[in-house]
Amino acid sequence: MVVSVKDGLKLIGVTIICFCAVFVCTFMLNYYIDVKPLGAGIVDTELSALYFAQVAMAKFTSIITGGVLGVIAAVMLVFYVKLYIDGRSQQLGIIKAMGYSRIKIALGFWVFGLSVFIGCALGFAAGWASMDMIYGSMTIDGVDEITPSFHAWLMFALVLAPAAVFTALACGYAYFALRRPVMQLIRGASKMRAYKSDKSGKDRNFLTEMSLKTLGSKKLLVFFIAFSCFCFSAMVQMGLSIEDLASATMGYMILAIGLILAAVTMIMSITSLINSNAKNIALMKAFGYTKTQRTLSVLGGFIPFAFVGFVVGTVYQYGLLKIMVNVLFADVAEVPDYNFNVPVFFITFAAFVVCYTATAALYSMVLNRFSVKKIMTEI
Amino acid sequence: MISAKNISKKYNGTQVLKDVSLEIADGEFVVILGASGAGKSTLLSVLSGLEKADSGSIDCNGTLLETLDDDGLTAFRKREVGFIFQQYYLLPHLNVDNNVKLGAALAGNKNYAEIIEAVGLKDKLKNSPSELSGGEQQRVCIARALAKNPNVLYLDEPTGALDETTGREVLDYILKLQSERGFTMIMVTHNVNIADTAETVIKMNSGKITEVYKNSTRKNAYEIGW
Repeated sequence: MVVSVKDGLKLIGVTIICFCAVFVCTFMLNYYIDVKPLGAGIVDTELSALYFAQVAMAKFTSIITGGVLGVIAAVMLVFYVKLYIDGRSQQLGIIKAMGYSRIKIALGFWVFGLSVFIGCALGFAAGWASMDMIYGSMTIDGVDEITPSFHAWLMFALVLAPAAVFTALACGYAYFALRRPVMQLIRGASKMRAYKSDKSGKDRNFLTEMSLKTLGSKKLLVFFIAFSCFCFSAMVQMGLSIEDLASATMGYMILAIGLILAAVTMIMSITSLINSNAKNIALMKAFGYTKTQRTLSVLGGFIPFAFVGFVVGTVYQYGLLKIMVNVLFADVAEVPDYNFNVPVFFITFAAFVVCYTATAALYSMVLNRFSVKKIMTEI
Repeated sequence: MISAKNISKKYNGTQVLKDVSLEIADGEFVVILGASGAGKSTLLSVLSGLEKADSGSIDCNGTLLETLDDDGLTAFRKREVGFIFQQYYLLPHLNVDNNVKLGAALAGNKNYAEIIEAVGLKDKLKNSPSELSGGEQQRVCIARALAKNPNVLYLDEPTGALDETTGREVLDYILKLQSERGFTMIMVTHNVNIADTAETVIKMNSGKITEVYKNSTRKNAYEIGW
């Protein structure tokens, strides 16, 4: 087997993102399907407006959550497959040299779809487990109470279909990435990536140059780190601000999902960043660069993008809640106007600075553990 | 002056260095010679402060390495030590100029361009390591190590990954720069012929020093066998 099941299950980040997406989509879509037939029987205008707003919100939330997290999970999966191929290009090159076709090797990457299947299956189960509680919190006074019904096609759409699509994506990307000539794979060409001459002629401080070049060579991680900060900012602020518009349960759920997504994406990004820079960091340590200098040379360039992610998250959550109030709940009486929540913004920003500074400090300790002997012996 | 007394080091239960003692004078060129597994690279890493010995004492120009913690060893390496490795370890995403700057920036050396010129890479300043030959990459390593103005230069099989012609050329650069600049140089190698270029040769076997001798006449890189 080209890729072991153990390797496939290492994509914990993808599993967690799929879990979150399917968890939200399961109860929202199930609610949407179960509550939809009741619409025809509601005659009261105000009640009808509230009902349609609630239905629209369920649909809207599912589309946004499923869409955004689906794209993120897809990008992360491709990123993992790329890392896997780069890390094992020699073995893959040897297999190719022995005569295995590219498609045969690529099909072995189906294993990466397992992590998606597990995440989706667990998300679906968790969504079902919390269905009663969610239905209870979304009950509209005056509308018949509904009980959750099982929809087999929903399970297919939220568990089996994504697993199949992501499996195809993993195999497809592997097929594309394995197009390199055999000798290039065997020599580990990706490890010794051919950087072009730098003719910029700019004379910058070494540490600035180092952090800029690290940033330039890891553009996808810029996206993930910014996304982590976006999740933290958007979902913490939304979770804390939404109490006037939805139930407290919904607020806590948004808060928890935001923190999980932010933590998973950040840990995955920084771990990958540090692993790919291990030799450079060890070399800088051997030469006598301090812990702070080493940390900044690797992580420093990403700081502005973390703040950009936070700002975009703030604008996004404000825009989303404003749309929800002004469009979806426009005809519903007694819905309070939504204004930008300044105290929540400052609390979230303070928490953001504390959490991300603590993360940088933690990883600084990890960086310090790199043995300088390691680069001499290549253990 | 480097003085090591009764150095011992163990890895995973295997005694790699056994009671090693030696003295190296300022400006001396010493070759540590031995077969694979003799403990020479471990001795190099302990003498250079890359790692600590389990027991024994090392005095490098007045600094007792066993008294230093990790930050202290980092500061020591910054002040005293330069490294040249067999596998170059250039930063792949930085060009030649910036790779050399990695060493120069630590010493605040603004005139590192002269070292790049001395190793014959003046016209490759903006090239990335992947655009250089093995010999050129090793010359970048030499420039990077010397740009930080080290008092002691440690070399771990610097010609080990090079063919004979390129190896001689690189060795020639190293020997010339050492004689011009007068820094202490400690080189680990398994190539017995390279030992003929050193002032002092320390032979090692199974973690022990088995012989120390001085060459009455030193050969240059093109006079030795390979």
